[in-house]
Order: sequence, then C-alpha cells, then structure tokens
Amino acid sequence: MPSQTSTHSPRISCFDVRTSAFALLVLRVSVRLWFAPLVAACRVVAFLFAVTLLLSSIASAQKFRPDDPIWEDDDRQNVPTLGRFTIADYYDFLENTFFSPGDNTRKRAVNVNTLGEVPDSSWFTNRHGKKPLNLEELVRGPDRGGPSLGTKWQVIQNKQGGITPGFRAKDDTGTIYQLEFDPVTNPEMATSAEVICTKIFHAIGYYVAEVYIVSFSRNQLEIATNAQFEDLAGKKRPMTAKDVDAVLQKAHTGPDGRYRTIASKFLPGKPVGTYRYYGTRPDDPNDIFPHEHRRELRGLRVFSAWLNHDDSRSINSFDSLISENGRQYIRHYLFDFGSTLGSGTVFAQKPRAGNEYLWEPGPTFKSLFSLGLWVRPWIRVDYPNYPSIGNFEAEFFRPEKWKPEYPNRAFENMMEEDAFWAAKLVMAFTDEQLRAIVKTGQLSDPRAEAYLTETIIKRRDKVGHFWLNHTNPLDQFRVEGTTLAFDNAAVRLLKGVSAADGYQVQWHRFDNHKQTPEPFGSKTAAKQLQLEIPSGAFEGPSDGAGHYALAEITTQSSHHLSWARPLRVYLRKSGTDVSVVGIERD
Amino acid sequence: MKTLTSTHPTRVARPTSITSLVFLAVTIFPAFALAQDAPLTRQQDWRQQREAKSKSLKPYKPGSLEGGTLYVQKERVLERFAEGWKGIHPKLGGLSTGSGFAGGIRYAPRIAEGQVDFQTSGAISPRVYQFYDLKLGAPKLLGGKLFAEFYSRYRSYPQEDFFGLGPSSRRGDRTNFALEDSLFDISLGWNWTKWLRTGVTAGHLKTNIGRGTDGRFPTTESLFSPVALTELAEQPSYNHLDALFRVDYRDEPLNPHSGGKYQLVYSYYDDQRLGRYSFRRLDAEVQQHFPFLRKKRVISFRALASLSDTNPGQSIPFYMMQEVGGADSLRGYREFRFRDRNLLVMNLEYQWEAFSGLDMAIFGDAGKVASRRRDINLKDLESDVGFGFRFNSIKSVFLRIDIGFSQEGTRVFFKFAPAF
Repeated sequence: MPSQTSTHSPRISCFDVRTSAFALLVLRVSVRLWFAPLVAACRVVAFLFAVTLLLSSIASAQKFRPDDPIWEDDDRQNVPTLGRFTIADYYDFLENTFFSPGDNTRKRAVNVNTLGEVPDSSWFTNRHGKKPLNLEELVRGPDRGGPSLGTKWQVIQNKQGGITPGFRAKDDTGTIYQLEFDPVTNPEMATSAEVICTKIFHAIGYYVAEVYIVSFSRNQLEIATNAQFEDLAGKKRPMTAKDVDAVLQKAHTGPDGRYRTIASKFLPGKPVGTYRYYGTRPDDPNDIFPHEHRRELRGLRVFSAWLNHDDSRSINSFDSLISENGRQYIRHYLFDFGSTLGSGTVFAQKPRAGNEYLWEPGPTFKSLFSLGLWVRPWIRVDYPNYPSIGNFEAEFFRPEKWKPEYPNRAFENMMEEDAFWAAKLVMAFTDEQLRAIVKTGQLSDPRAEAYLTETIIKRRDKVGHFWLNHTNPLDQFRVEGTTLAFDNAAVRLLKGVSAADGYQVQWHRFDNHKQTPEPFGSKTAAKQLQLEIPSGAFEGPSDGAGHYALAEITTQSSHHLSWARPLRVYLRKSGTDVSVVGIERD
Repeated sequence: MKTLTSTHPTRVARPTSITSLVFLAVTIFPAFALAQDAPLTRQQDWRQQREAKSKSLKPYKPGSLEGGTLYVQKERVLERFAEGWKGIHPKLGGLSTGSGFAGGIRYAPRIAEGQVDFQTSGAISPRVYQFYDLKLGAPKLLGGKLFAEFYSRYRSYPQEDFFGLGPSSRRGDRTNFALEDSLFDISLGWNWTKWLRTGVTAGHLKTNIGRGTDGRFPTTESLFSPVALTELAEQPSYNHLDALFRVDYRDEPLNPHSGGKYQLVYSYYDDQRLGRYSFRRLDAEVQQHFPFLRKKRVISFRALASLSDTNPGQSIPFYMMQEVGGADSLRGYREFRFRDRNLLVMNLEYQWEAFSGLDMAIFGDAGKVASRRRDINLKDLESDVGFGFRFNSIKSVFLRIDIGFSQEGTRVFFKFAPAF
C-alpha cells in the first residue's frame, strides 16, 4: 500500500502542477480583468474609511461642534425597567463625612453648553434666569391647582419617614396629598418656609413638588374605610381617629381651632428612589454625567446658602419615572424644603445649621482641647424673636462659608464659574418679586414677613456681591456689527459697584480641530463695553462649520482684583454670520 | 528570471487583493455605518454615550457597609428593636455597679392607648445578680393631673460591697454581702403643673441579708462581727410611707442643659418584724443648670442631703443607709465606698459641647457621710475631680464616660444616663 501510494502521488502531483499553473494563469487574468477594479475600489473604500475615522476623531476632539451652543440636553430617552435606588440615610452621612466619595478632579462642569449655561434636561429647566418670569408666574410656582376641599379630607395613611408630624389624605377629587404641620412652638414656620422655597427653587429651574398652605378644622378630617396606620417598626393596622388626634397633638392649632398645614401633592410618575451627589445611576442610560460635575448640583450650593437649605442632601431628592409620549424616563426632583430659612422643620433652625457640618474635626478638637474656651463664632449670633420665622439672619451670613448638614462631592467641586452662574440666577430675583413670593408663605405677623423678606434680600445681595465679584464678571456677550459687545454682571446686578477701569483683550485665531489658539496682534485696551473684532481674527483654519476667533479678556478694577481673572470668549464666523459660541471663566 | 520577476508583483498583488476583499467585507459596512453615525454634533455625541451605556445597564449593588445600613434602614431594625416584639423588649444593663453586664427581657405591651402603663421585666448578670419587677400604672388620670401606680420588685444582689460605716472606713476593708429584698408599693400623685408634682407612696419591704459570693474579698460577716452589725444576723421587714414634693423645670430631664430640680422626700420605715429597725429619713436634692452661649456651655450644680433619724432603741441596718461613692456621687471612689445614716454630696460640673453629638465635662465632687446629723457640714469632705464624655442626642445622654481622680485612685465609669 505504501508503494502504491507513493507511485500515485507523483502522478497526481504532476497533474496538479500543470493544472495549478493553468489555474493560476486564469486567476491572474481574472484578477487583472475583474478583480483589479475591485481591489482599487477596496483601496478607495479603505481610504474613505480612514478619512471617516479621522473626521470622527477630529469631530470628537474639536472644541466646538456645529450645533454648539445647545440649549436642550435630550436626556429623556426611553428607559427600560428600573429598580428602586435607595440611599441609607446614615450611610450617606458616614460616607460623605468620612470617606469623600466621587471624583474630586478640579474641572469644569461637564453638562453645561459651550456658553457655560445649563441646557434644559430632566434635572433642570431654565426659567427665571433665561427669560424672567412675571410676578404671577413666580407666585404660582409649580402649582397647577390646589386641593379641592368642599367637604372633607379622607385620611388614608399616617406619614412615613421624616420627622414632621403628618399624614396622607385625599381631597374631594381623590388626589392624594401629604399633610404636614408646624411645630407647636413655631406656628407658620415650617409651612411658610416650604412654600416660599418651593417657589424660588422652581423659578430657578429645579423640579419640585406642588405645595399648598391649607387650613382645616378637626371635623373636616375623616378616616377612610381602608386607612392604614404603619408604626415605626413597619407593622400595619387599621387607622383610628386617635391616631389622627395623636398627630394633631404635635401640631400647632390656630386661635380659631383650625390646623394650618402644608399639602404636598404626590409627584407624577413612579418613585424610583433618590439620587446621590456623585457618580451616575448604573441602570439609567440617560444618566451619563457624573453628578458631582453637574452644574445645577454644584450651583445648588449657592442657592442653598442663600435660603439656608441645610438639608440639601440625597435623602431630600426624588427620582420619578415619568411616562410621556410612549417612553419613560427619570425626572429628578428636589424634595422637602421644611428645613430652610429659619425653620428646622420641627423646631427653630439650630444656629449650627449652615455654619458647621454635623461633624467637623477642626472646631470639634478646638473646642474639646480648649475646654470650651474657644467659642464657635456662630454661637454668639443673635436672632430676632419671630417664632414664625425661627432662626434666620443675614448679618453673620457668609455665602462662601455656608455649609449643609454634611459635605457632598458636588458642592465640594463647585468652581467659581459654577458659583457665578448660580449667583446670576440669585440676583435675577428683584426685591419686588421676593416680596411677592414671601407673601405666599401667608405669615400672619406683618413684622415677621417684612423681616423675612429683608433677610432674604440681604442674603441675596451678599451672595451676589461675593460670587459675582469673585471672578471676571463680564457677561451677555454678543456680536454687534464688527464689535464684540458685553456687559458687566456685577455692575448691572449689584448696588454700589462701580464700573471697571478698563478692559484688556488679546485676540487669537483659534484652530477648532487642534484646540489651539494662535495670538493675533498685540494686547489692546478698551474703556467701553465693546471690543472691535480685528478683521484677520477669523483667518485661522476652518472646521467646516466656520472659522474661529478667541478673545481673552481681563477686566481692570482697582476695587475688585478678581475681575482681572482671564475670561475667554470664542466667536465663530460662518459665511458672514459671526456669533458667540463659547465662554470660559477662570 | 524576467518572467519570475514580472510575476512577483502579481504574487504580491494576490494577497493584497484578498486582504482588500476581506477588508472590504469586514469594514466597508461598519465604516459606512460609522460615518453615518459619527458624533459630529454635541447632541449626537451625547446620544451615542447614552446608547453605549444602555448596552451595559446594571442595577446598583451597594457595598457591604452600605448594604448593611440599608438593610437596617429598610427593615427598620432599630425601630423594631426599640418597639420590641409583641411588647417584649431586651433589657440591657441597669443592675448594680459591679454586677457585670446584665441582660434580660422586659414586657411592656401598649394598653389602652397609653392610658394604662403595664411593665414587667427580669434580668440576670454574669455574677448572678437578679432583678424582677412589675409595674401597673395609670399615668394620665383626670387629663394627666392624677397618677396612680402599683410597683413590685424582687432583687437578689449576691456581691454588694461594704467597707464599714462612717467617713473613716478603710478602703482595704472591702467586704461583700448578699442582699435580697422584695418590695410592694402603691403610689398616688398629683401633677399641679407641668413642673410641680406631689405624691405619696405606701408599701412593704422585706429584706434578707446573706453571705457574699465574691471570693476575691472577705464576706462582710467575717470582717464586721454580727455584734457590731446585728442586722447581719436578723433582718427586718418594713411597712413604709413616703411623701414627695418635686419642682422640676429642667429642659430635658435625661440631658439637662437648663432649669432646675428641687425635690424633697420624707420617708418613714416601720420595722414590722423585729421592731428594732424603724427609722425616718429626709432626702433633699437641689440641682440647677446655668446655661450660657446658647446652652453650648453649662455649669451645673447639684447637692444631695439625706438625714436619717430613729427613735430611742431603734437603729438603721447598714444596707438601708445611704451611700456615697461611684458614678452618681463621688466619681473618684468606688460604688458604696462610704455608708452611714446621713450624707451630703455636692457636684459641680462644667459642660461644653465638642460637637452636636458629644458634650465634654470637667467636674469636682465632694461629699461625706456621718452618723450624727450635726456632722453633716462642709468640714472633712471627701473629694475628687475628673473629666467625662457625654454622647448624646438632644433629649438624652446615651453613653456617659466619667474618669474620676481621688486620693484612692482613678475610677472609670460607663453609664447610660446623665450624672444628674
């Protein structure tokens, strides 16, 4: 067999060599005739592919995209089924106090547009800051119609969670509200703070619940047939009138025997937990920006300082799964403003609130080792005696030193640019508007109402004076003819701030692909709020959408040294159209 | 050679063409697709990031510490612990100092919406200290003005310390005895205002004293002869009557930072069994808290005086005498360090807040016991100084650590209540 095989093979081999040579010839001819153009086509395609990749990478790398600046972040893509994302209260405190979670890299907020503004999203909607709301809109806030109380409240359940006494009840239309009361010692305090701050935070742009101040007498409360009482240990039983009376015992009663309460309408959608002030939610595809780098969460520190919202932490946030137009997405709410202004919800706010974290080693050890001889400065602060206000003042208040109950990464990451954005929003509220909003708190003592309004106004001004002057305050950049016009937010929004001594600008041609500026001409000075755009500033390379110029501006002021921080304004020229496409502050 | 040479390019071209074909097949369609979806705009870029994330969604998984705290919160473990199970609660500590960490159960069902207060408990410690009690009360009669209560207690403390009587008792004379007693009391009282209470208590107390079980120290009867302490050999049973007057306007009785407490209790113990140990006693307590700097600093003062008296021919058993020393009186001394008929204790404490959950304190204590009432004065006081930590909430001190220094050494006390 081996021999047969061995003789066989050479023959076949000879045949194969011949046929192979023939086949190769045919193949070569075929390749030449048929495949050569295909090969060429392949090469073209490969080239195109490479170009495409290159363009893609260039597009990714370029500073400005054709659609910049965007004003809407469409983070309302359909979300699949979600679990509930619950944060343990004590863990949140421990983690944020002792472990400093999240990314502490000092960098610009990542969800802003190229002008440094926050696009509308499921987190934030530009309202008063973009187009001033009128008084009616401000006073209405998020409210779209309060409880209908022709006859009685149907109490359906005792309140779960939180420290404020209350319960859940249905109005005549069957709409469910959570009812919460003022503490006996501080009538009107928590309810007014809740309403006032809800309206302000809504006007700023956050999603908040509808809240209403209502009053009722005991006989307007009726226990629903299936009403449930859940005790602290989670055991349920039918609710009784005594349970309701036990709650009312902790509530302030008016001279007419009626109870004043805050009625919070249940939020739309399905509750899916709370959000943290760092990281992203791993089961939400829309949540791509780390929360500690979101502008509206960083800037919340400024708003919270203004209104003494010391309870600005995860447990007072609310994620709701909203179904809309055949898709569902998470909307992120701020929740529970009972601990704002001078209210500590169930007591007048503690003087520590806003001045020191619950646990802060520096003051603790100073106090401990000095045998108490070292006194925390805030202990000596005096508050006027308005029970309906609690402890709220503006003299000692320093916006930059204000602190919530415990740290959070978003607040820690706040940069001057974030604070400037927030401070402008704070200053967008005029005295008249704030008076109108405070009136919605329905304080019966006109002196208390006046004091509260004045204090909010004073704190607003302090916020504005610090943060608007803490960086280069130029804003409202626009192209007018051949000039770049702008305004000074500090001068425009603050009282008693004099205009800048002058401005210095260095123009650059800007390569959007390489993200590199090339100085153009020498530094020029100006006294007016407009700068002539040099004609050659747009002669740098085009990215297809246009040519770019960069103006690096410093503001000279003998009173405000921080104004000299450089501010970069990017312009894009598309055809003959020149527009402001980017603003960066240091 | 030329032919070979000329065929070379073809040979090279062949794999190139095949590679190109493969390249074409593998990449042309994705390339076009990619080109079509290239993130040229901001919106497209962000959309692509979201689409990429949507392919790797996962539920949030907390770490072990977070998961643990979440479990405690969701399952309301602390609340359930506080609430108990069908009225049954754990009972931890609370027996005599030196008994070891006692454990037991307390049954306190909620009856008639809190109008009826029924509680019973039992606890035992590693040194076999035992405690059982039962309380049935109506704390809110007549709108909270009137209160009535029945209280019964049995306790067996087998290693109570005794150092001898009087101020000159010696530390080295530490002995121990077993104390066993049963108490049945009925109380009735009236709350005149939120801060003023008066009341009377009548009851029966049966005592029994025995040999101490702490082998480290001699038993009391071995060092102090029954001749000197006749009550070691025979024990009385008492009927007693107490009258109470109390003004208490402290802000938080379990963590006072302001206000004061002034209390007088007059007691008469009538020996029913032997007729030799009847006595009268007046206990007075004054405490005042002076806050400053928004109650972040407090200077507190407390004085206790107990004066006992007997008719001729009567005496007071040593275990019924008041004692000085320990976590609630002289903190530089052992519990029960001094005993006698009369006592005086004064405490001065300066307390300052380190942070909202911790108050620090430095204190000085002084006190004495005396067999004669006239010896209750400010001469020859035993004294100590020390410092302490009070871990607290607004309403209560949940852990107090006091370190006291006296001529008899250093004492450290862990307690779950304020000093006073």
